[in-house]
Amino acid sequence: MIDFRHVHHNFNGRPALRDCTFHLDKGEVMFLTGPSGAGKSTLIRLLFADLPLQYGTARIAGFELDKIRPGQIPLLRRKVSFIFQDFQRVLLPQDTVYNNIHLPLRVCGIAKQHADRRIQAVTRHLGLHDKLADPCANLSGGEQQRVAVARAFVTNPQVVLADEPTGNLDPELSVRRLLELFKFFQRYGTTMIIATHNPELLRRHPEGRALRLEQGAITRSNWEGAALFNPMAAAFAPTGKN
Amino acid sequence: MSMFFQLIRQALRDISLNPWAQILTLAAVTLVSFLVGLGLMIVTTLDHQLSISKGETVFQVYWRPSADPQSIAEQWDGIRQLPGFFHIKTFTPAEALRELEGRIGRGSSAKNFPFLRDQNPLPATALITFTPDEQDYERWLREITSYLAGLEGAERVSSSPLRDEIGQAWRKVNSYVLRPAIIFLTLILGLVVGNTVRLAMLSKAREVEILRLVGAFNWYIRIPLLIVGGLQGLVGSAMSLFILRFLHLHVEHILNFPPILLEIRFPPLQIVLLMLAVPTLLGVAGSWVGLGQPPSGRAFRRASHASVSDKAWEQ
Repeated sequence: MIDFRHVHHNFNGRPALRDCTFHLDKGEVMFLTGPSGAGKSTLIRLLFADLPLQYGTARIAGFELDKIRPGQIPLLRRKVSFIFQDFQRVLLPQDTVYNNIHLPLRVCGIAKQHADRRIQAVTRHLGLHDKLADPCANLSGGEQQRVAVARAFVTNPQVVLADEPTGNLDPELSVRRLLELFKFFQRYGTTMIIATHNPELLRRHPEGRALRLEQGAITRSNWEGAALFNPMAAAFAPTGKN
Repeated sequence: MSMFFQLIRQALRDISLNPWAQILTLAAVTLVSFLVGLGLMIVTTLDHQLSISKGETVFQVYWRPSADPQSIAEQWDGIRQLPGFFHIKTFTPAEALRELEGRIGRGSSAKNFPFLRDQNPLPATALITFTPDEQDYERWLREITSYLAGLEGAERVSSSPLRDEIGQAWRKVNSYVLRPAIIFLTLILGLVVGNTVRLAMLSKAREVEILRLVGAFNWYIRIPLLIVGGLQGLVGSAMSLFILRFLHLHVEHILNFPPILLEIRFPPLQIVLLMLAVPTLLGVAGSWVGLGQPPSGRAFRRASHASVSDKAWEQ
């Protein structure tokens, strides 16, 4: 489902990712950790086709990121959803919860009755089913975060990329609900990459893959599908190109 | 096709979502269109007054009373074929007598002037209006004067040199001032409407970014915005035309008294259509430019700034 091989990425000659290689199968969950500036966001942006792949090869949901054309990016984003930490920037505050969640389904041209069924299912999981008619601006921060989560899952994506998805959630109630949702979609084959510093997520999801990035390199992982950084190999890697 | 209608519905829904922003944009478009329309109305009025009523060369031709009426009628037909011909008002002796009676009082010529019944002394006359070509005006004037004076039975030809001079002057003003003024006003209309709509589109930047993030194609994002921009231009200009028409109905005759005798004229249909088309097209263009080509996932870069600590790993 996700195949990341020998990926390097530089910003103005400064390496952000160094020889990253890992592989995730359908339905696997990977927790991405590491200090600030370790390259987690760069990795996620590359997978979301927000940055062009400079070196190496990457494949996600059937799209080869090293060969992807701009016209294919919307198609990729219909199969790969993203949950932002700063969720308020990606919600339309005046619009209702229903319309915010419905947005990607509308873009995909999904019929209303199917869309309604999916929205009902996802919002019931996240405890939002009685707030569908409310404008997002009237919701609390945690509820808005749940709207963003619901929107990411409502399309039945093949991959979900999440950047600190629990940042504003109620620690008891909502983290538990979020994990239930993750597990529910995992059963249906959704692959997830979650950048987080929330220990609760890792503790409650011990079977999840974990990958630690430091200075753009993979320094730890708990499964064989990820290759740890090899300084010798990296010495021959291309550098300097932005 | 259903997707297209969905996008139109989406455009209308977008308008209802931000009514105040739309109203303010519409007000700005209406105001600018109205001011431009006002300018065009003034220019149209001046143009009509000077170009139509004075921008002409008028000849009055008198025939001898003894001239053959049949021959004169044939000559009038010939005059209609002359270059620059615009209008001819003819008077046979009988018509001239009736005109004279009309000015004196009611009744038939037999009643008022019974002694003239069989010996009408009035000549046949014609008031001929030309709108000559400016380039060879002097030559044209000589030729026409000579032609009219040489007509069989013609006794006298007089022209209106003052009207000619004013007409010539106005034609110069028309070519040097009027047309550039219309172009200038249209340009202002375009710039203001285009920029107003473009600025209004900036408020949609977040929605556009979100749509990109959830996999919307460019056309899916653009079409509703182009419809909104075009509608703003069209509705704004239509409203300004209604206001202008309303104003025109109230001031049409306000200057129509001696010695000014100026009838304020509404811009002609071509200008009205232009006033509708230009803001509409520029509304669409403003939306296109306002939307620009945002790099994919600008929101992503802004939103994705998590600084994940390694607490989780430490656990």
